[in-house]
Amino acid sequence: MLEVQHLHKVYPNGTVALTDVNFTVNDGEFLVIIGLSGSGKSTLLRCINRLIDPTAGKILWDGVDVTTAPAGELRRIRRQIGMVFQQFNLVKRSSVLTNVLAGRLGYANPYLSLLGIWPPAERERAQRALTRVGIADKAASRADALSGGQQQRVGIARALMQEPKLILADEPVASLDPVLAHSILQYLEQLNREEKITVICSLHFLDLVHRYATRVVALKDGQVVFTGLPQEIDRARFKEIYGEEAIEVRAGMAES
Amino acid sequence: MLNALASLFLPGLGQFLAGRRTRGLALFGVIAVMLGLIIWAVTPAVGGAEADITFKGNPANWRWLIVPTLLWLWNIWDAASPRPVLIPVIAALIMFYVMGWQATEIDLEALAKNFDRALIILRPMFRPDFLQPKADRLEAWVELEVPCSPTPPAGANTLVGTSLSLSAGCASVGETLTLTAGGLWPDSDAELVWQSPIGDFFALREPGTTQPVITRTDSTGRLATRFVVPKAIPPGIDPNLPQNQRLYVRQSKVTGGYELSTNGFFVLKGIYETIALALMATTLGTLFAIPISFLAARNLMSANALTLGMYVVVRTLLNIVRSIESLIIAIVFVVIVGLGPFAGMLALALHTIAALAKLYSEVIEGIDPGPIEAIRATGATWLQVARYGVVPQIVPPFTAFTIYRWDINVRASTIIGFVGGGGIGFFLVQWINLGDFRAVSASFIAILVVVMAMDVFSARVRERLI
Repeated sequence: MLEVQHLHKVYPNGTVALTDVNFTVNDGEFLVIIGLSGSGKSTLLRCINRLIDPTAGKILWDGVDVTTAPAGELRRIRRQIGMVFQQFNLVKRSSVLTNVLAGRLGYANPYLSLLGIWPPAERERAQRALTRVGIADKAASRADALSGGQQQRVGIARALMQEPKLILADEPVASLDPVLAHSILQYLEQLNREEKITVICSLHFLDLVHRYATRVVALKDGQVVFTGLPQEIDRARFKEIYGEEAIEVRAGMAES
Repeated sequence: MLNALASLFLPGLGQFLAGRRTRGLALFGVIAVMLGLIIWAVTPAVGGAEADITFKGNPANWRWLIVPTLLWLWNIWDAASPRPVLIPVIAALIMFYVMGWQATEIDLEALAKNFDRALIILRPMFRPDFLQPKADRLEAWVELEVPCSPTPPAGANTLVGTSLSLSAGCASVGETLTLTAGGLWPDSDAELVWQSPIGDFFALREPGTTQPVITRTDSTGRLATRFVVPKAIPPGIDPNLPQNQRLYVRQSKVTGGYELSTNGFFVLKGIYETIALALMATTLGTLFAIPISFLAARNLMSANALTLGMYVVVRTLLNIVRSIESLIIAIVFVVIVGLGPFAGMLALALHTIAALAKLYSEVIEGIDPGPIEAIRATGATWLQVARYGVVPQIVPPFTAFTIYRWDINVRASTIIGFVGGGGIGFFLVQWINLGDFRAVSASFIAILVVVMAMDVFSARVRERLI
């Protein structure tokens, strides 16, 4: 269980990114965070695994406060939390296999991993992860030789290497076309249902939110303006979250 | 009308007052430069140092005054009502080009008339001095004194089975002496070679010809010949001071096949030295450039005012060092550490540090923060983040730039020898001064081969890395 309590984030240049954010994520949920660009979605996700240090507040992960965890403890927490990014964040010059293996760094022998030596068991684990996302044949390719959808699948395979209890997905499909968007989100949904991995995902398109979310948190100017089921977001709520001018755009469905 | 009057007194003033400031300033500037140039051109050079130059101090240059005068008139016209600028621009350009032509002392006649002089250089260059026919060589010498002192040497010498003796142990320049030799190869040619007091060798010539003195031994390996004592004292040394000099007798027998000539050996030594000193300079430069490049990367140094200040200082220093030609740095190092490849290596290394640090820092500035964030998110340690997030992004471009720099350094080190920085250039400049164009051509070929090979090699490697 993840509890976010009174979370505040002010950047050194004075930008207020999050103000008193509170919500709870139960194990096995597919929580979707929505909100305009700049509403604090990315900052919130990065506070959870402390890629960004929050200014104030607590984040309890199974009862342990992430915000005050010492370095070693923080790394043990991070390795249980997989992360998927909008821009995939692969090392472009490295092979797909190396990128996937990097997901295992939190578990690996620190010295051997620095030499680039990986035990056969880990290599097999990486191959299985790639098979799972359907690109087993691309293991030896350079990461930048892959298409956008394939790169994001490498990103998911990297997260899988962490044997995560939680996956943070920061707009994982914003750089992809609608068909690919569904295929990527279906992988996340499958992991959520079959492996009971909790997913916290930020999304732009409301139809995707309706299709995949089990619960929704809406942010506006760094504050939570809505928490509830996706069906509860009606026209009025939508205007409240996105502003009076907003018109809903659909990503389109891959299947009927 | 008032503007025209203003421009009559000061060119461009009318235009300036009318708000056409650029044209006003340009007119004033161009006319001022023209007048300055004409005055400089008609003034005779101080101390006659440039007296041989027909351009400087020639009163005929006064005729150029017509151009600024016409421009002045045009300027008044233009001040009254704006005129198209094309014709005055053409007039000014004609003046600057013709004066520039004269100042450059362009002499097409010399180019055409004396072109055959180039053949003196080009002809030997078609026979590069690298390999020579293999031959057995026999050499014997005897010492004599020119001119005579009260205690001259014996005029006879015996070594490895040969014996040489002169009719006298000393002589003056122009005297004729007799050489008798024994123990040489029978029935074969022998060449007479003179060694001057400072160690230079030159073949003795038949008096009044350019034919080298060649004599033949008899069937018992003996020879007797007369020769004229040559003038071998370099200018500036008192010719009346008795000096020991040597007469060599040389024989050679072609045995078939080829071997490296003496100059060929120096070409190989020089080119090896060049590659090695370029390699050392590149390695040393890389080692220093890596840490410096981090200080010169804006994204790493913009954290606070102190680091930003360091960034500015480091960048400025790099730009200054990079703008100094490595040839000039080499001259300084030759003064410090003496002639030789070490000075050249230091000069190239310094230049390499500045050039590579800038290129590396641009790689660091262009680094993608995304993968670093992703690796941190997996629970990796700081070192693991560096190894998996940073190193793969910077090592291939760093290596590519380093190899490219080695390629540049090989080319630069051929030139750096000209100022005493070692390598093939060091030999090359001496052969040019000695007029040994066969050796010059051999070193040109060696440089060409090495530079082309480096070029192909570095292009191949860089292709794979980027």
